[in-house]
Amino acid sequence: MSQWLEQVIDNAKDVSDFLTPTRQASLAELKAQGWPGKRTENWRFTPLTSVSQRDAVKVANAGEAEVPVIENLDVFDIVFVDGQLITSIADIDLPEGLTLSTLDDVSGDDEQAVKALFGHIKPQRHTFGLINDALATQGVFIDVAANANIQPTIRICNLTTQAVDVHSRVLVRIGEGASVTVMEHGEGNADSLTTAFAEYSIADNGYLEHYRFALFTDKAKQVGGSHFRLGDHARLNSTVVGYGSELSRLDVDIIHAGEFADAKMNAIYLLAENELFDLHTNIEHAVPNCTSEENARGIIGDGARAVFNGRIHIHRDAQKTLAEMNNKNLLLSRRALINTKPELEIYADDVKCAHGATVAEIDDTALYYLLSRGISRSKALVILNFGFIQELVNEIPKAAIGTWLLPKLSTRFSQMEVK
Amino acid sequence: MSEQIEQALSRKYDAGFYSEIESETFESGLDESVIRRISAMKDEPEWMLEWRLKAYHAWEKMEEPEWAHVEYPKVDFQGISYYSAPKSMKDKPQSLDEVDPELLKTYEKLGIPLHEQEMLAGVAVDAVFDSVSVVTTFREKLEEAGVIFCPISEAIKKHPELVKKYIGSVVPRTDNFYAALNCAVFTDGSFVYIPKGVRCPMELSTYFRINEMNTGQFERTLIVAEEGSYVSYLEGCTAPQRDENQLHAAVVELVALDDAQIKYSTVQNWYPGDEDGKGGIYNFVTKRGICHKNAKISWTQVETGSAVTWKYPSCILKGDNSVGEFYSVALTRGRQQADTGTKMIHLGKNTRSTIISKGISAGKSNNAYRGLVQMGPRSDGARNFTQCDSLLIGDTCGAHTFPYIESRNPTAIVEHEATTSKVSDEQLFLCQQRGLDPEKAVSMIVNGFCKEVFKELPMEFAVEAGKLLEISLEGSVG
Amino acid sequence: MLKISNLHASVEDKVIIKGLNLEIKPGEVHAIMGPNGAGKSTLGYVLSGRDGYEVTEGQVTFNDQDLLDMEVEERARDGLFLAFQYPVEIPGVSNMEFMKESVNAMREQRGEEPLTAAAFLKKAKEACKQVQLPLDFLKRGVNEGFSGGEKKRNEIMQMILLEPSLCILDESDSGLDVDALQVVAEGVNSQRDNKRSFIVVTHYQRLLDYIKPDFVHILADGKIVKSGDASLALEVEKSGYAFLGQAYEEAQA
Repeated sequence: MSQWLEQVIDNAKDVSDFLTPTRQASLAELKAQGWPGKRTENWRFTPLTSVSQRDAVKVANAGEAEVPVIENLDVFDIVFVDGQLITSIADIDLPEGLTLSTLDDVSGDDEQAVKALFGHIKPQRHTFGLINDALATQGVFIDVAANANIQPTIRICNLTTQAVDVHSRVLVRIGEGASVTVMEHGEGNADSLTTAFAEYSIADNGYLEHYRFALFTDKAKQVGGSHFRLGDHARLNSTVVGYGSELSRLDVDIIHAGEFADAKMNAIYLLAENELFDLHTNIEHAVPNCTSEENARGIIGDGARAVFNGRIHIHRDAQKTLAEMNNKNLLLSRRALINTKPELEIYADDVKCAHGATVAEIDDTALYYLLSRGISRSKALVILNFGFIQELVNEIPKAAIGTWLLPKLSTRFSQMEVK
Repeated sequence: MSEQIEQALSRKYDAGFYSEIESETFESGLDESVIRRISAMKDEPEWMLEWRLKAYHAWEKMEEPEWAHVEYPKVDFQGISYYSAPKSMKDKPQSLDEVDPELLKTYEKLGIPLHEQEMLAGVAVDAVFDSVSVVTTFREKLEEAGVIFCPISEAIKKHPELVKKYIGSVVPRTDNFYAALNCAVFTDGSFVYIPKGVRCPMELSTYFRINEMNTGQFERTLIVAEEGSYVSYLEGCTAPQRDENQLHAAVVELVALDDAQIKYSTVQNWYPGDEDGKGGIYNFVTKRGICHKNAKISWTQVETGSAVTWKYPSCILKGDNSVGEFYSVALTRGRQQADTGTKMIHLGKNTRSTIISKGISAGKSNNAYRGLVQMGPRSDGARNFTQCDSLLIGDTCGAHTFPYIESRNPTAIVEHEATTSKVSDEQLFLCQQRGLDPEKAVSMIVNGFCKEVFKELPMEFAVEAGKLLEISLEGSVG
Repeated sequence: MLKISNLHASVEDKVIIKGLNLEIKPGEVHAIMGPNGAGKSTLGYVLSGRDGYEVTEGQVTFNDQDLLDMEVEERARDGLFLAFQYPVEIPGVSNMEFMKESVNAMREQRGEEPLTAAAFLKKAKEACKQVQLPLDFLKRGVNEGFSGGEKKRNEIMQMILLEPSLCILDESDSGLDVDALQVVAEGVNSQRDNKRSFIVVTHYQRLLDYIKPDFVHILADGKIVKSGDASLALEVEKSGYAFLGQAYEEAQA
């Protein structure tokens, strides 16, 4: 057991609201599981030493933080700084069909909706997810009415500026035939620890465009997850971008619960110095006729360490599934390390399922081609290495987001040492 | 259509008979005295006994492993007998004529005649029956070339310097629970030594037979290929059909010194248990080889038997430019569970590895590939290519892929691909339209799926493996 | 040789063949033409016994046996051959071993000894040459990575090797250029004699320029609405299936 976990469990005693039964159940599960160690398969390559002996910091006054601006993007921001909500939600002019509320301010029917989401989409076994269940009193509930087509992007920012523990939650209900774009953005470099978990329910024929930018660096630790359940003919397009920090771990679960659902996910990670980034994805094909496509690409430089675990689980009934997953990695340095594990677990026979993983260096032919056009070797390496992730940036549905992201990634990349 | 495939898969197990042979079998149970007795039976030197006891004491402290996706009733280690040998073997027959004819008959029935003149030309056989080696053929011919091929119990006495040097050098005594147990109680197995620059003139092969009830078989094989030498070795295994599970926990160590090549093939056909998962062998095996400079180790396995298989023939690519290969076909049906794969540990520069794994699952079985490809910090220019294909037959089985990849070298390249498919109705229909019955059609399609692996087997055994697969797929079609 | 009476057949509960009558005598070549969706390919699948094609009414006798009562492979061994419109790939199984098994299954049925490897190879090479496929196609996986035209020629090669008594060619001309078409047609013509019969299913008259039919039938909405000699095909060529409108109405009446 860790000192931090003991304090966390102690702090959870003070939390009491309409979600208490779920919170209590999660606490019980947490106690039963104990603190994950090296032999816990899900944490095999990701040590938790930076958290286990930490002091749980309960509350703090929000520091000064600059909210990142994405130009030319129609967006509503809901901003938390050091765990404190600094946006006045009441002042947002909401389009029709969209309801926003905070967890401490839901009532009536919404309370039922929140209860139906909270802890019901994410798997109830992730240590930090359970901790988040017990402690996340700050959170947002986004409700999109049936057939509403919400144009502006809804962005939830979690910024940290100091040594603080932040537990935040996002719950999203997308009605039948509705569509919306939600972005979860996290950033900070202080000695903070953020657990940010989001649960999305996409009803039949609904569409979610999703972004998760986990851009914590240095000592800012984050362990979070985005979890989706898709109904009949529901669609998801998700883009994940991760930097690494002392500890940065993201879990994505996509559950195909309705037939003909389709999920696409692209993930990019770009790690430098001694950062660690761990991406665990899990796609559950529980019903027939669904499709999923996942592409994860990472560049690992300096003494950084990346972990990728991508699982596809095809249940007995999920005939006619099409599932593809691909993970590609580039190591830039002799001190860098990648652990990747693309897993397939298949119980239905009439499915098309494939995965691939590579760890490679730049293609010699491509390099030669660039050199023959007079480009310097170092420049050519940068172009080719970066082109590798740029391909995924180009697939981002909203051009404004791609335009904002690309120079950020490129700056980060240019500071890394290319061998 | 899939119903027809299911039926085509009902299996007959040809090797399921029991031979009435009077045996000397230890009472079940394991403690230090049992190990002392085994060592005494084998007339072993003191250092070997000490080595066993050290392993035993380490094993006592070790935890029995549990694997995800593998379920079976736990082994009662005190309920097993650790030594059983035909009484007739006590007098150590000096030639084939002195061997109990019942024993020879057993091997004949399995298609392995032990009289040299009747054997496949160019294949030398060591026949291991429960805990002892019955006979090793063609020894004189091999000795002319300087090749040592004998039971390991004999090698311990006659070639102690070689055994001492290499035993446990690839799989340490405490490597894992079952390896440690094997170190403590191993009874027999084969020892092969190929001198410098020698190309072994024959295929070597060991045939393992479990016969006695309630016994465990703990075989140990050690192959040492000196600089620039070459050897191709094959092992086969069968056991009687019984309702009780039996444990087979082997350790195989291969040492390929500079420029040497070892080709190791396995056709594993232990009794798999019945349709409902009753009986069958637990096949918990540790196989590992080490490659020095420019050396090559190639593992090929065709796994159709055993109730539970847990086996990862591995290569430590220590020397620069060394090569590791793993070609595997694993067919599971009924309630069989196979968890098999390989580890390729790239330590040296420009090391290469290839992994081709073909898993076929049918019935209510589960078939998993589990593997590790590790690129160490000094493995400049190393390459790995892995291809894992699964074929599912019916919708009550499972096929799984758990590949672990770790790289610490920016110039190393790892490529992993996995796919899954089924025997399609269209393929079956085409074959039937051309006059083939469904059984033949399925076995032909499955054979095609496995082709890349079969072509790696020595010629004599490729045919045998194809037949084995066919027998496995054989049955009645309604 | 083949007699189809009042055949009704359905696929996934959808009725496709609706009362088809046809008699084929030894040595005859019957062309079956018709618009898309008329049931042309279905007829081939029903006759060869493909799963999922259910006969709901009618009889088919083949050499005086009840064809519908036989398994797929039994029909094949009795000499019924279907050249597929879209031949499936069987990875890893070479053409050679596939055909050897198949040829020997036919020989066993006829009470003949299996061919030796050498004898088979000789035959296979000849057949390969006849359809102008390079010899290395024998070693390649069945249809694996073949082009559309190569697959069609491979089907004809199999036909030549298996020496069936009734050949059903399901759109063996589709997707072929003129040269390939000629190869296919020559392959077929070389097999024509006074015993072997053919059902040539095609959408276009073009193939019939090369394979001269004795009879032409127009299949529409699951039955034969018009039969005639080779000139009927030319009529179709000239005026398309538009004339069917009337004939079809007549048939309905």
